[in-house]
Amino acid sequence: MAPPVPNLPKTSSPSQPSGKSEVADLKLQLRQLAGSIAPGADDSRRELFKKVISFMTVGIDVSAAFSEMVMCSATSDVVLKKMCYLYVCNYARSNPDLALLTINFLQKDCRDDDPMIRGLALRSLCSLRVANLVEYLVSPLTSGLRDSSPYVRMVAAIGVLKLYHISPSTCLDSDFLAMLKALMLNDPDAQVVANCLSSLQEIWSLEAGNLETVSREREALLSKQVVYYLLNRIKEFNEWAQCLILELASKYIPSDSNEIFDIMNLLEDRLQHANSAVVLATIKVFLYLTMSMTDVHQQVYERIKAPLLTLVSSGSPEQSYAVLSHLHLLVMRAPILFSSDYKHFYCQYSEPAYVQKLKLEMLTAIANESNTYEIVTELCEYVANVDISISRESIRAVGKIALQQYDVNAIVDRLLQFLEMEKDYVTAETLVLVKDLLRKYPQWSHDCIAVVGNISSKNVQEPKGKAALIWMLGEYSNDMLDAPYILESLLENWNEEQAPEVRLHLLTAAMKCFFKRPPEAQKALGVALAAGLADSHQDVHDRALFYYRLLQYDVSVAERVVNPPKQAVSVFTDAPSSDIKDHIFDEFNTLSVLYQKPAYMFTDKEHRGPFEFAEELGSLSLGTGSVENVIPAQIYEASDNDLLLSTSEKEESRGLGNNDSVYSAPGYDTSLISLEDKQVQPESNFLSLAAPTMASHTSSVLDDLLGLGTPIIPPPPTLKLNPKAVLDPSNFQRKWGQLTTSLTEEFSINPQGVVALKVPQALHRHMQGHSIQCIASGGQPPSLKFFFFAQKEGETSPFFLVECLINTSSAKAQINIKTEDPTLSQPFSTLFQSALLLLSPS
Amino acid sequence: MLQCIFLLSDSGEVMLEKQMTGHRVDRSICGWFWDYVISQGGDSTKILPVIASPTHYIFQIFREGITFLACTQVEMPPLMGIEFLCRVADVLTGYLGGLNEDLIKDNFIIVYELLDEMMDNGFPLTTVPNILREMIAPPNIVSKVLSVVTGKSSNVSNILPDATASPVPWRKSDLKSSSNEVYVDLIEELDAILSREGVLVKCEVYGEVHVNSHLPGFPDLTLSFANPSILNDVRFHPCVRFRPWEGEQILSFVPPDGEFKLASYRVKKLKNIPIYVKPQLTSSSGHCRVNVLVGIRNDPGKVIENIRVQFQLPSCVESVDVSSNHGTVNVLADKTCFWSIGRIPKDKSPSLSGNLVLELGLDRLPVFPVFRVGFKIVGVALSGLQINKLEIKNMPARLYKGFRAITKAGEYEVRS
Repeated sequence: MAPPVPNLPKTSSPSQPSGKSEVADLKLQLRQLAGSIAPGADDSRRELFKKVISFMTVGIDVSAAFSEMVMCSATSDVVLKKMCYLYVCNYARSNPDLALLTINFLQKDCRDDDPMIRGLALRSLCSLRVANLVEYLVSPLTSGLRDSSPYVRMVAAIGVLKLYHISPSTCLDSDFLAMLKALMLNDPDAQVVANCLSSLQEIWSLEAGNLETVSREREALLSKQVVYYLLNRIKEFNEWAQCLILELASKYIPSDSNEIFDIMNLLEDRLQHANSAVVLATIKVFLYLTMSMTDVHQQVYERIKAPLLTLVSSGSPEQSYAVLSHLHLLVMRAPILFSSDYKHFYCQYSEPAYVQKLKLEMLTAIANESNTYEIVTELCEYVANVDISISRESIRAVGKIALQQYDVNAIVDRLLQFLEMEKDYVTAETLVLVKDLLRKYPQWSHDCIAVVGNISSKNVQEPKGKAALIWMLGEYSNDMLDAPYILESLLENWNEEQAPEVRLHLLTAAMKCFFKRPPEAQKALGVALAAGLADSHQDVHDRALFYYRLLQYDVSVAERVVNPPKQAVSVFTDAPSSDIKDHIFDEFNTLSVLYQKPAYMFTDKEHRGPFEFAEELGSLSLGTGSVENVIPAQIYEASDNDLLLSTSEKEESRGLGNNDSVYSAPGYDTSLISLEDKQVQPESNFLSLAAPTMASHTSSVLDDLLGLGTPIIPPPPTLKLNPKAVLDPSNFQRKWGQLTTSLTEEFSINPQGVVALKVPQALHRHMQGHSIQCIASGGQPPSLKFFFFAQKEGETSPFFLVECLINTSSAKAQINIKTEDPTLSQPFSTLFQSALLLLSPS
Repeated sequence: MLQCIFLLSDSGEVMLEKQMTGHRVDRSICGWFWDYVISQGGDSTKILPVIASPTHYIFQIFREGITFLACTQVEMPPLMGIEFLCRVADVLTGYLGGLNEDLIKDNFIIVYELLDEMMDNGFPLTTVPNILREMIAPPNIVSKVLSVVTGKSSNVSNILPDATASPVPWRKSDLKSSSNEVYVDLIEELDAILSREGVLVKCEVYGEVHVNSHLPGFPDLTLSFANPSILNDVRFHPCVRFRPWEGEQILSFVPPDGEFKLASYRVKKLKNIPIYVKPQLTSSSGHCRVNVLVGIRNDPGKVIENIRVQFQLPSCVESVDVSSNHGTVNVLADKTCFWSIGRIPKDKSPSLSGNLVLELGLDRLPVFPVFRVGFKIVGVALSGLQINKLEIKNMPARLYKGFRAITKAGEYEVRS
C-alpha cells in the first residue's frame, strides 16, 4: 500500500523515477549484488538501499523490489540492516507473502551476538504487523524478555504490545502479561520497567471489560505497593518515563494525609525539572492529591505558580501556548493567586498571535480592584497594535474587564477614547462593547451617548458595530437629538445593507424611536416597515410583518412588547459555566485544556482504540444479491474526502440531516465509537440514561399537540447482550453466509425514530447504547438498509446477525435475524425491536 | 502516544515519514495540514501547535523552515507531544550541524535511525543527545573519509547505552577524557518593555547556566553562587541533586560529558537596563517625522556590543527616507528598518532621523511601530548573579576551570 500523495508537490529530485523502469533497474542492480562478497559490495548496496529508501520516503511505490532487498539483507553491516528493516516494515503489511521471506533473517538476527542487532531485529520483527506471521513472534519475544541486555528487554516489552495489537488472543494466551508484570516489578533497568508499564497499561485498559482478572490487575497497578515502588525509583527513569509514572500516580488514591505529604515531598524537585512535560505531570499529581484538603490545595497553587510562570517565559512559543492554556484553567479557579503577577502576561511584540490571545485572556481573568488600572493601560497599548486581530481582542478584553468590575469609571473613558482613534475596526468593536456596557450599567448612558452621538454612521461598516450603533440609536433616541434623522438616513440605504442582522436592528430601532418620539420618527418607521415587508430575508420580512400587525392591533400593546422598561443585565450568559471548567480541570494535562472543552464535547466522533480493526474493514464486502445498494463500511477512497472534512462541517451536515446520499463512512464511525466506548463508558451511560427520561416527557407533550401517538414500548426482555461484542467484518461475512435466517419480522417504527433516521449515525449510536453494533449501512431514503450484530453476554456466547430494512416513508421495518442459537432469536428480536422503538431525534 | 511523525519542507512537501504504531497514518493528513496552513494565511509560525483534524490531533512545531508534525488519535499530555518534537528538532540540529531541507534530505537515513531510537510504538524513549551519540554516530567528515578508505566503517557504534552499569543514566561509567577541563557559562537574556515615556513597564532576566565538562571518571561538582537569593525560579538538569539546593542553595551534580544546560532561572524586579531608545514620531499632513535616539542608560561596566534597533513600519507608509549619524540603516521591501549601531561612540550619541510619506488620504500615522533592540554584553550577568566557586571532588589535581558571563537582549521592546 503505497501512500498516494495527492495535492502534494512532487520532489524536484532529479533521480526520481518517472515510471517503473527505474524501479526495475534498481531491482536488477540489487539482484546482481545480492550474493556478492567482493570488497566494496556493501558500499554499493548501501548506495542502492539509500536510493530505494529515498524513493519510499517521497512516496514512490518500490515494493516491487521486496525480494531483492531481502536477498541483499544478509550482511553484517549494521546500517544496511537498519535500512533493510525500515524498508521491510514499510511494505510487509501490503505484501504479507513476501514478508514471510524476511522472517528467517530477522529470526536469525534475533539470536545475534550483538545486543544492538538483537534489539533492532526484534523491534522490526514486531513491527511487520502481518497477522499470519504472529506464530513466529512468540518465541523471539519470549527469549527477548529474558535477554541479558536491557536494550533487548526494553524492545521486547514494547514488542508484546505490538503483538497484542496484531493478535490479542496470541498475546494473551502466551504468558507474556505475567512476564511483563514480573519485569516491571523486578528489572534493574528503568527503561525496561517503563516500557513494561506502558505496555501493560495499554493492554489492560483495552482488555479491562472482558476479563475479571484483568480489571483486578489494573487496579493492582494503582496499589500503594506498586505506586510507591515506582515513585521511589523515579529519578532513575528518563524524563518521558517519569511522565508515565506521574500520570499513574495522579490516579492513585492515598489512604491518609501522611501519604499525600510523603508523595509530595518525594516529588517536589520534579517541579524544577527541565522538561516541561514532567513539570506539568507533577503539578497534576499535586493538584489531584490535595483536592480534598482545601488549605493545602491553596498552598499547592502557591508552590506551582513560579514553575509555571517560568515555563511560560522560557520555553518555545509552542510550549508557552500549552502551559498558558493550563495556567488559564488554574486562574479561573484561583484568580487572586496570579493577580500580582499580571506583568507576566504582557504581550511581547514578537510572540505569535495564539500566545498573545491567551495572554489577553489571562489578563482579563486576573483583573481585579488592585491591578485593573495597570492592566487596562497595557491593553490600551495593544489596541494600536499592527495585528488587527490582537487589537480587536484587546478591545474585547477591556470590555470584559469593564463588565466584571464595579468601578468602571476609568474604563468607560478609555473605551470612549478608542472611538476617537477613528479606525474602522476599533470603532466597530468599541461600539459593541459600549452597547453591552450600557445594558449592564445604564447609569453611564449620558457619558457614552454623548460620544456615540458624534460618530458618523458612515464610518461604521462592520455589521456587528453597525447593529450596536443602531441599537443605541433606538434605545437612547431620547438622549440623542438627531436619532430619528440618523435612522432615516440609514434607512435610505436599506437595499445596500448586506447583513440581515443590521436590517433587523433597523426595524426594531425605528419602532423604539417611534414610541419615544412619535412625530419625528413616524416617517422613518413607515419607510422601515415598507422596506422590511419587501425584504427577501425571511426573518427580516417576518419581523416587519409582526411589527406591522402588532401596531395595527394595538399601539400600546406594541409598545409594551417592543419597548418595555429594561432591567440592567447582571450576568451575561456566554461565560463558560463553572461546571464545564470543573470538567476540564478533571482532565488536567490533557488536550481538553488546550481546547477549553471537556473531552466528551469533542471526542464524540473521534476515532480511538486499536486501529487494525478499523482499517481492515476496508476489505469488507457484504454477501451478494441483496446488498446492491449497501455501501461497504469504510473504504479509504470513499471516505478520503469525508475524513478530511472538518469536524464542524460534518456536524453541520448531520444537523441539517441533508447527507442522506453521502453516508459518512458509517462502519468506520461506528466501529470506532464502539472502541472508544470502552474509554468513555461512564459518560455515554450517563447520557443514554439521561436522554430518554427527559426526551420522552417533553416530546410526548409535543406529540399530543402534533397528533402523533407515542407507540407503546414493550418492556425490555431479559436477554442480556455483551456490550463489548467484537466481530470483524470478514467473520461477519462468513457467518452471514453460513447461517440461515432464523426469524423474519416486520413491525412499525416510531415516527420520531424516522426523523432521527435522516442521519444513519444516530441509529448506529443509538443501537450501540443497547449493545447492538452496526457493521454496515446504506441505501437511499425512503429505503434504508443496516447490518447489525450483537452477542449474548459471555465470552463465547452466540452472535446475532441482523439485516434490517427500514422504509422511512411507511415507517415500517423488516428484520432478518441469523443466529447460532435459534432458540434465542425470538427474545433477541423483541429486544431489538424495543431498542429500535426507543430511537428518537437527539 | 504519537502515531506518526512527518517532516515537511517549507513548501509542504513530505521529506520524511516515520510510522510509529500499527495504525498507519495516511500521508493525506499532511495535505490536509498544508491546506489548513494556507487557509490560515500561509505563515507557519502562526499556526497553533495543536490542531484537531477530522481524523487525528496534530502536534506541530516549526523550526528553520521545517515543520515537525506528529499525529495521534488518543488522549495524551499535550506538552509531551510538543516537548518531544522540540527535542527532536534540537537533536537533529545538533547531529546535522544545523537544520534545513538539504541537510535532512542528505542525511535522511540518520534521521530515521534517530527517530527509531527516540521513540518506539509512539512512546518517547531517550532524547538525551549524548546517549544517542553513543548509539548513532553523527555524520562527520572523518567518518565519511573513513568509510571511503576502509569501506567498512558504519555510523553505528556497537556500544549500547549501558544504563545498568552506571549509577547515573546520563553518564557512561568508564569515561576517559584527554583534557581535564570544565567551563561554566552564565548566559542571560534581558526581556524588557519600555513605554514611550521611557518608563520601564516590565523587566526580567531569563538566565541559563551552561556547563561544558570534559572530565574523566565520576567527577562530583559543587557550584555555589555569591547571591543565590535573587534567583526567582530555578529549573535543573536531571543531574542536579535537589536537597543541597534546597538546604544551602548550592548546585551539586555529576555532570554528563560535553556541553549541557545545568540550570535555568529567572530574576525579577530589575531596575537597571543598559540602553535607552527614545523614538519620536510626529505626523502632519501626510508626512511623518521620525527621530530615534539611542544611548547608555545604566552603564553595565563593560562594553555594549552589537547594538541593533529594528522596527516595522505599517503598510500605509508609502516611502521611507531615513539616515543615521552612526552605523548603517537598511530598509527592506516590507518596510522593516534595521539600524545596526555596533558600539556607542564616545563623542556622540547615535541618532536616526528621517521622513515618512504616508498613503494618500492619511493625515497622520495610525499605528506606531514597536522598536526592538538587540545588544550583547560580554563579561557581565546583568541580573547581578555571581558565581562564588566551583569545587570538584574525585578528580586528579591538574584541571582547568573557566567561567564566563554574557548578557544578551531578549525581547527588549520600546513603544512609540
